[in-house]
Amino acid sequence: MTTETSLKRATEILAPFSKGNANPETNRLDVDIEASDLPAATSALMRNQWGYLSAITPTDLGKEMNKLEVIYHFCEGAAITSLRIHLPREDQPDIPSISDQIPVASFFERELGEMLGVHVVGTPDSSRLFLPDDWPDRVYPLREDFSVEQAAPVVPRATLPEIGRVGNKFTVPIGPQHPALKEPGHFEFSVDGEIITGARMRLGYVHRGIEKATEKRNWIQNLYLLERICGICSHTHTSAYAMGVEKLAQVEVPRRAQAIREIIAGLERIHSHLLWLGVAAHEAGFDTLFMYSWRDRETVMDLLETLTGNRVNYSIIVLGGVKHDIAAEHSRSIHTALDYLEERIRYYLHIVTTDASFLQRTRGIGTMTLEEARHFGALGPTARASGLERDVRIDAPYGAYHYFPVSLITGENGDLEARFEVRMKELLVTCFTIRTLVDNLPPGELAVRFPRKIPAGETISRVEAPRGEAFYYIKSGGGESPLRIKIRTPSLCNWTSVLNKAVGHQLADVPMLIAGMDPCFSCNDRMITVRRKNDLQTFSWSQIREYGIRKYAAVRELK
Amino acid sequence: MNVHQNYVNNLMGKITTWARVNSPWAIHFNSGSCNGCDIEILATLTPRYDIERFGIKLRGSPRHADVLICTGPVTRQARERLLRTYEQMPEPKFVVAVGSCGISGGVFQGCYNIVGHIDEVLPVDAYIPGCPPRPEAIIDGIVKLLAHLQNGTRPEPIKFVPQEQV
Amino acid sequence: MNIISSLISLMFFPAGISLILSGMLYEWADRKLVARFQNRIGPRWFQPLADTIKLLSKEEIKPHGVNNLLFYGLPIVALSGALTAALYTPVIGLTPTYSFQGDLIVALYLLSLLTMCTGLAGWNGASRFSIIGATRSLTQLFAYEAPFLLALLGPAMAAGTWMIKDVSTYAESHWMFISQPVGFVVALIGLMGKLELPPFDAPEAETEIVAGALTEYSGRGLALFHIGKSVELVVAISLVTAFYLGGIGNPLVFLLKTLIILLFMSTLQSMLTRLRIDQTVGIWWRFGALLALLQILVIVLLKGWLS
Repeated sequence: MTTETSLKRATEILAPFSKGNANPETNRLDVDIEASDLPAATSALMRNQWGYLSAITPTDLGKEMNKLEVIYHFCEGAAITSLRIHLPREDQPDIPSISDQIPVASFFERELGEMLGVHVVGTPDSSRLFLPDDWPDRVYPLREDFSVEQAAPVVPRATLPEIGRVGNKFTVPIGPQHPALKEPGHFEFSVDGEIITGARMRLGYVHRGIEKATEKRNWIQNLYLLERICGICSHTHTSAYAMGVEKLAQVEVPRRAQAIREIIAGLERIHSHLLWLGVAAHEAGFDTLFMYSWRDRETVMDLLETLTGNRVNYSIIVLGGVKHDIAAEHSRSIHTALDYLEERIRYYLHIVTTDASFLQRTRGIGTMTLEEARHFGALGPTARASGLERDVRIDAPYGAYHYFPVSLITGENGDLEARFEVRMKELLVTCFTIRTLVDNLPPGELAVRFPRKIPAGETISRVEAPRGEAFYYIKSGGGESPLRIKIRTPSLCNWTSVLNKAVGHQLADVPMLIAGMDPCFSCNDRMITVRRKNDLQTFSWSQIREYGIRKYAAVRELK
Repeated sequence: MNVHQNYVNNLMGKITTWARVNSPWAIHFNSGSCNGCDIEILATLTPRYDIERFGIKLRGSPRHADVLICTGPVTRQARERLLRTYEQMPEPKFVVAVGSCGISGGVFQGCYNIVGHIDEVLPVDAYIPGCPPRPEAIIDGIVKLLAHLQNGTRPEPIKFVPQEQV
Repeated sequence: MNIISSLISLMFFPAGISLILSGMLYEWADRKLVARFQNRIGPRWFQPLADTIKLLSKEEIKPHGVNNLLFYGLPIVALSGALTAALYTPVIGLTPTYSFQGDLIVALYLLSLLTMCTGLAGWNGASRFSIIGATRSLTQLFAYEAPFLLALLGPAMAAGTWMIKDVSTYAESHWMFISQPVGFVVALIGLMGKLELPPFDAPEAETEIVAGALTEYSGRGLALFHIGKSVELVVAISLVTAFYLGGIGNPLVFLLKTLIILLFMSTLQSMLTRLRIDQTVGIWWRFGALLALLQILVIVLLKGWLS
């Protein structure tokens, strides 16, 4: 289905609720609706299987307009439908919840409540989730008149969790400082013996408030700030941001620069997946694989350093192009390095699909069916391992992917093994793409002149990060710095699936399950989310038991 | 008698210093970093850098650790946990701040959820600058801390004056 | 002064300094081999010594809500158990210091004392991780103990004695890893389970439960458990070598044989993924115990038939 027909279909579906339509860009449809129509409009989209909820962007339109704006973005392929809702600019205006239809929405709704001061009616949990425990009430960082002074610490509302032993059940805290987590996040698993009976999550230990900070910095400074959202996928963030700003400024990036950006993105994907392979192997207690994959990862790091001058935060992107060229001798060293890496990746693919002791920890663990993946709104390799065909590089090609398409890799089983397999195969495809790009680098400029001030407007840019789709919503008021930047990273969408899947598994599987989706806390934690104890939400008690028994039967068969 | 005891004490002191310098077990805490430093710290464990050569091990429990390696600016939510982790460590203990954010707040200066850099919360013994520092730099920083231990001196504390809040 | 006196008293403990030092060297060899397998350089030879001295000289924090006697007593009992076991075994190829009919059983149970102490120490700890670690330690004890015992009973039955010294004398003329290969493999893998080495390190799985039963220990307690473990490594390896690889014989050759076993164990360590605790128990009872029993049955039948 083409983008036009998608949008046409969306217009028809949403016609009963629409208070006004607009097409700000060729692939976007903007529909103004009343807040009370939101659940009905969402269910109409869901009923007709139109796309998935990608993000909710809360914005304060300021004193003049005296309105708050909440936009619900749905994506299908390259088409984006935005439901735009205006609320009165007062303390806690009401908006209905849609998380009963879309589980992921509960995360976004938490953000709404905490950051913009909107009262989400019917959301499963409205406790303090976004901001630190000692954050004062009725202070919302995304409101225009917010200042740091307002946020002076108060006596914390929540206390630290007590050492928990309820009857025969334990609560096992994992994090924020925990060896399985290279980054902080806090999970509480209630366990019965070794079996998980409930899962809760509290993030926000690395919540720094980057989204708000972007509003105080100019367009160029933001490039470097956003690069530091995440050290693993820094290039993804800069390229998504740069793409959006370039679209707003109506600047055409030279093809050579686009190709170089994609080469770096490919190398970043290799480094990220190898890093993940190592960490996941470490969680499984297979340190040798961890050491080997990280040793080979150094090859990519060297390559990235040669090309950009940095190992981690490459900062090769400038608005309107790239900083450094890729010369002939570079392409030779890229080819040599890729020769080695391809051989190693094939070897790892062989290991993760055949090594019996490793398979014991991955095969049949955390299985997510295609329907579940769609329901939970999974993204990236986590979704693709369940057979869900969702990849921005293919659905909505951007930059050099227009001329150098990549092929889609999907798995079938949706368990941890499939996720390992999908990621490793994806690397082989990435290697191929990089080779093609390097051999066919288009001639031309590296960068074009870029204006200091960006014309007013708003845009959406989506980029496929190593972990899935990253979503940027950028709004300019015509000045030197943005009015609003909203970032939604893939890890956030994948949490729902992991926490739901943890119930019924063994405690020993938890680190693997968490690692299996390749979480990235620093990405998430421009915002905070808490997940309520959801053992009764999707599983009834008898179902948990049944699930546990079935699982044990499977373990026995394995041996 | 007194002289003799002094001699024994001296000798034991020397032995414990030697052991301390040769076996610093570390624990890693991310208090709001972007992850860049964390992956570089992890990289020091791996074959190319192999920090175990110096007897440095990354431990999971703060009770087993001698050196607290901190990354990132301290966020309001992480502050409590950072302090708790530090308090759980047995004496003698040392703190190493890794990365620009840990030293000065870096690009995150003035963000609403940041308490500040690490030495506003904990006494820091060594600073390793960089965004992120290379694994070699991290190893070098820790080895320098060890050299100071050997001489019985604490590294010179650097007082950082933050820029005005943005 | 407290540190020094405890250090000195440790050093002059009867079975003594040499045993502890050799334990450390074995531990180093193990770590070094694993590091080499993982393509790293690995620790320096004095690493375990430095670790131990450092831990001994560190502050010991007693968490709230633990039993004082158990908290301070258990590490000492654990270490003395391991050291006492050394008296009956041909450590480093020397004839056992003490011997009596049935010392095999005593030595084996003294070796289990360490695990029991670890379990109790974990249970005593207030932390959730240590309690889960303790449960896992003890579960694993029940898993490997019977097969390991059976695997060592095999040679004893063949030799017709319960005295370690006599069994190893008998073994000098009968290389039992040829006549009882199944028992040898079970004993070797049981050894890894006993020492909680990967892939049987679920009780101290760092990524799940931090450091297991010993999470709350710092300083001296941790050091004593560490020493106990490395002594146990020496004692258990010596026992298996003496029983299966041709008795005591020449100390130098004996040392080489133990090193070969160590090499084998570190290879397995670096090749395998950690097993979940349910998988560990399953493997032991499904295969380990069964195979060892079969072995013993064969020995009994053969002995009956031969006589």
